[in-house]
Amino acid sequence: MIHTVLADDEVLARQKLRQLLRDEPDVDIVGEGASASETIELVRAAGPDLLFLDIRMPGMDGFDVVGALSSITDKPLPRIVFTTAYDQYAVRAFEIHAVDYLLKPFTTERLRTAVQRVRDQFSAPEQTTGQSNGKSKHESPYTTRIVFKSRGRILFLPVADIRWIGAEENYVRICTEKETHLLRETMAHLEVRLDPQVFLRVHRSSIVNLQYVKEVRTEPTGDFSVLLVNGQKVPMSRSYRSRVSELLIRG
Amino acid sequence: MRLWSYRIPIPLLLEAWGVQYFLWGVVSWLLWQLWGAQIQRAGIACILTRVLPLSILTSILVEMIWVLCFPNLPLNRPHMAYWHRLWFELSEELFDNVVIFWCAFGLFRGMGYYQSFREKEDAANQLEAQLAHAQISALRMQLNPHFLFNTMNSISSLMRTDVEGADMMLEQLGSLLRITLERGDAPLIRLRDEMEFIEMYLAMQDKRFVGRVQQSIKVDASLYDVLVPTMILQPIVENAYAHGLSKIDKGGLLAIEAHEDRGHLIFSVLNTGIGLVPDSSKRTGGQGVGLANIKGRLQLHYGDDHSFQISEIGRNTVQVTLSIPLQMSQSEEEETARFVAQ
Repeated sequence: MIHTVLADDEVLARQKLRQLLRDEPDVDIVGEGASASETIELVRAAGPDLLFLDIRMPGMDGFDVVGALSSITDKPLPRIVFTTAYDQYAVRAFEIHAVDYLLKPFTTERLRTAVQRVRDQFSAPEQTTGQSNGKSKHESPYTTRIVFKSRGRILFLPVADIRWIGAEENYVRICTEKETHLLRETMAHLEVRLDPQVFLRVHRSSIVNLQYVKEVRTEPTGDFSVLLVNGQKVPMSRSYRSRVSELLIRG
Repeated sequence: MRLWSYRIPIPLLLEAWGVQYFLWGVVSWLLWQLWGAQIQRAGIACILTRVLPLSILTSILVEMIWVLCFPNLPLNRPHMAYWHRLWFELSEELFDNVVIFWCAFGLFRGMGYYQSFREKEDAANQLEAQLAHAQISALRMQLNPHFLFNTMNSISSLMRTDVEGADMMLEQLGSLLRITLERGDAPLIRLRDEMEFIEMYLAMQDKRFVGRVQQSIKVDASLYDVLVPTMILQPIVENAYAHGLSKIDKGGLLAIEAHEDRGHLIFSVLNTGIGLVPDSSKRTGGQGVGLANIKGRLQLHYGDDHSFQISEIGRNTVQVTLSIPLQMSQSEEEETARFVAQ
C-alpha cells in the first residue's frame, strides 16, 4: 500500500485527486491538508509514502513544507508529486528530487503516469532519490531523468522510458512509447549523459535504448536498421552492427 | 587686432591670434556652461536687452585681457599706458570682437535647434515602434478569444458524452494557453516553437473532427531556428478548418509545409473542402478578419518583402502560400533540458 497525503488549499483540487486516485487500488489516502501547517502536522503524524503537494498555498508554499519536514523529522521524507498551475517551479522541484510535476489542469492519464513512477521508485530501491539516507552503493554517473518542457507541459522523463533518440539538425527527437518530444540539444551532449550499457549510438543521427531493440535487420538495399519492439525501424550504420549484436546477445 | 606694422614677425602674429581665439574659446565655454540653455531659448526681447549688452561687455573684457598679455604691442609705436593701449585696440577691434561673439551665439542656437530636432526625431521613432507593437498585440488578441470559446464549447459538449475526452481537451487547452502566455509579447519566435503550437492545435482539432481529416506536416529540420511572426500560422489553419474541412464529412486533407526558397521561408497550407467561395468578402466573421490580420502583421514586420496568396489549386482544394525573409534566430536561449544522475 502506498500511504498518501493530499495537500492543496482548494477543496475541488483535493476532490479531483481523491476521486481519480480511487482507481488506483494500491493508493491509500491517509489524510488531506488544506494549508502548509496542516500538511506538516499530517505528514509528521502519519508518515506517508507519498505526498501530493500544491505549491502556492496560504502562508508557506510547497517548498517551505518540504524544508520544514526535512528539518523536523529524521524519518525519510515521503515521495513528492507537485500539483500546481505554475510552471516556473519545475526546476526547483526537480532539484529537491520530486517524483513528478503535474501542471493543472492534468488528465487522469497524466496522474496515472505519476503514480506509476512512484511505484517504480519503490520497486527499484537502488535508484532511490536523494532523500533516502545516504548514497546508494554504486552511484551511476549517468542521467536517470530528463526534465524539459514539451507542448506546454513539464516532463520529468525517466530515461528508461526513452525508446530511441533521433537527431534533427540543432534538435533531438526523443521518442517514448506514445509520444515524441523535440529538444534543443545535440546528440553528442546526450550521448555522454546516457548509460552506454543501455543506450547505444547506432548511427550519426540515432541512439537506441537496447531494452526496446528486437532485432537488427539487413534491408534489401543492403543498409542496416534496428527494429524496435513496437515495430519502429531506426537506421543503423554498418560500423555499429557487430557492437549491437554483441550487446543484444549479452542482454 | 591690428599690429600696426608691415614687418611683423610671424611667431608674434601667430601668438597674438592664438591668444585671442583661445580667450574666445574660454569665454564661449563659460557662457555655454553658465547660460547655454537660456541663450538657446532666448527670444527677441531677451536678445536685445541682455545678449546685446553682453556681447559688448564680453568683447571689451576679452580685449582687456588680450592687451594685458601683449604689453609691447602695437609695434613701432612709442610706449603707451595700459588704458591708452586698450582704447587704441578697442577702437579698431571692438566690432570684430562683437562679430565673433555673435558667431558663437549663432553656433549655440544652431546646436540647440539640432538637439531638439534629434530629440523630436527619437521621440517620433519610439512612438512609431510603440504603435507597431500595440498594433501587433491588438491583432494577436483578436485571434485568441474566438478560438478559446470554440474550444470551451467543444469541451462543454464532450463532457456529457466522453469525460476522458473532455479531460484531455482541457489539459490541451491549458497547455496551449500556458504556451501563449509564456511567449508573452515576443513578436518573433522560432519556427519550431510555432510548429509546436500548431501541432497542439491540430491535436485538438483532431479531437473535434474525429477521423475526418488527415493531417500532414512537413518542415525541414534545418528551418527549425528560423524566426517567424508569433501565431502567424494558427489563423490560417483555423481558416482551413472553418471554411474548408468543416464543410465535408470525410476524407479531408490538411497539409502544412515549410521550405526555403531563395532566401525566403515559404509556408504552404493546403486543405480540401469546398474551394473558394466567390463572394467570400461578404461573409461575416469569415476569412476577412483573420487574413487581414495576417497581412497587417506581415506588412509591419517585413514591409514589402513578403507575399501572401490564397488560391484554388485544384477542385475543391485551397492553398495559402506565405513567403517571408529567412532570418535565423541568433539567441542561445536558456537550457531547455536538465539532466540528473541519481
